[in-house]
Amino acid sequence: MLLEWLNKLVSIKDPLRPPGAVSEDEFLLRCTRCRKCVEVCPYDSIKMAHGESGLKMGTPYIEARDMPCYLCDDFPCIEACPTEALSPVESKEEVRMGIVVIDESLCLPYNGFLCRACYERCPIYREAITLKDNLYPVVHEDMCVGCGICVNVCPAETVAISVKSFHGDI
Amino acid sequence: MKKVEKFINSHLHLLRRISQIGSLVLIIAIPFLNKSGINILKGTYYSISIGELDIIDPAIALQMILLTKSILITVLLMMIVPVVLAMILGKVFCSWACPFNFIAELLGKLKKSPSIHSRNPKTFHYWTIFGIILLSMTVFGIPIIVFISMPGQISALIADAIFNGILGIEILLVIVILAIEFLFNRNFWCKYVCPVGATLSLFRIKKTIKVTYEPNKCAKCEGKKDSPCIAVCPLNLNPRLSGAYPYCYNCFECVNTCRKNGGALNISFEKKLN
Repeated sequence: MLLEWLNKLVSIKDPLRPPGAVSEDEFLLRCTRCRKCVEVCPYDSIKMAHGESGLKMGTPYIEARDMPCYLCDDFPCIEACPTEALSPVESKEEVRMGIVVIDESLCLPYNGFLCRACYERCPIYREAITLKDNLYPVVHEDMCVGCGICVNVCPAETVAISVKSFHGDI
Repeated sequence: MKKVEKFINSHLHLLRRISQIGSLVLIIAIPFLNKSGINILKGTYYSISIGELDIIDPAIALQMILLTKSILITVLLMMIVPVVLAMILGKVFCSWACPFNFIAELLGKLKKSPSIHSRNPKTFHYWTIFGIILLSMTVFGIPIIVFISMPGQISALIADAIFNGILGIEILLVIVILAIEFLFNRNFWCKYVCPVGATLSLFRIKKTIKVTYEPNKCAKCEGKKDSPCIAVCPLNLNPRLSGAYPYCYNCFECVNTCRKNGGALNISFEKKLN
């Protein structure tokens, strides 16, 4: 399909979309590029993609390392979206922006240092990230919402945790 | 009421320029307001929110309906204001608000006006171009209209430049179109190509406001090579002949000029006189 082929050419491969986003293909068709979600985000987490991102031009995305999604109680971005490209969610636990993956070769506890940064800051506390043997962080894919807060706080020299955007249909 | 009408009629050009500048000020003000936490106004010309009132560009709504093959009630409700406006006043958004047309018009003024066509282009051409855009969009499944919607692109570019200090490279697209217009064909984009204007034209009905022509009042400039009404038209149309619509975007510059030359051109909701 032409759409998929064109998507391969662009700089932002798998953008992390704001909460409530429909599947990526549907999102590109529904998003009006109106910027309202960018403008209402209280943390300025949401950025706007530009021409270099090809078909994704004008769409909103989140760079977790710069500023993750803090999962506001009232989700102003979803509220602002005119076309349900960001569709309503009941609670923060229901959000599926992506799934984080821990690289054990870089993660501090797996390498003999004490660190609980991601575990402590995870908004789905003690559910999305738990500590194996009270030491090693483990991600639970069914609970992780992909907000990227853990990515943002990871103190490892090379960030040990990354968020993969969710591309399945929700 | 009569007084208001008279005032509007005698200051058409001035009012239009104020409206165009106001529209530009609006899209510059929105990111500044949002940056300082005020969200009463938000969005761009793709979709704009004024308080609780949400408005969507009908061209973007049409694109969404064609591509997702579904209709959202909320989107239809957001189309009401622009559609009703287009039904009453024609595509005045283009001539009275669109920032791209404003820039293109001013650039066009730097150049001497092109040779005057005696006839208007065929209506068929207008709908063919629009049809090709809609068809290719649906066949390839690519949201073409958001990319080539100049009012949307310009307002989004301005917003992100102010809000995040980033000027997107898509500004090149705007510059290229403006350059082609400047070098080759004045306002060809607004006249033939723009899907935003074409979508608004879909809602033109018999009672939509229009420029009317009374040949018996037209004496002074008849036979002259450069009729003031044609020379002043940003789209290089001839308001004295039929076929100015659906191209004409009701800027009323011709009517304004004609007032000083006999008054054969008028604005009316009624059926065309010629």
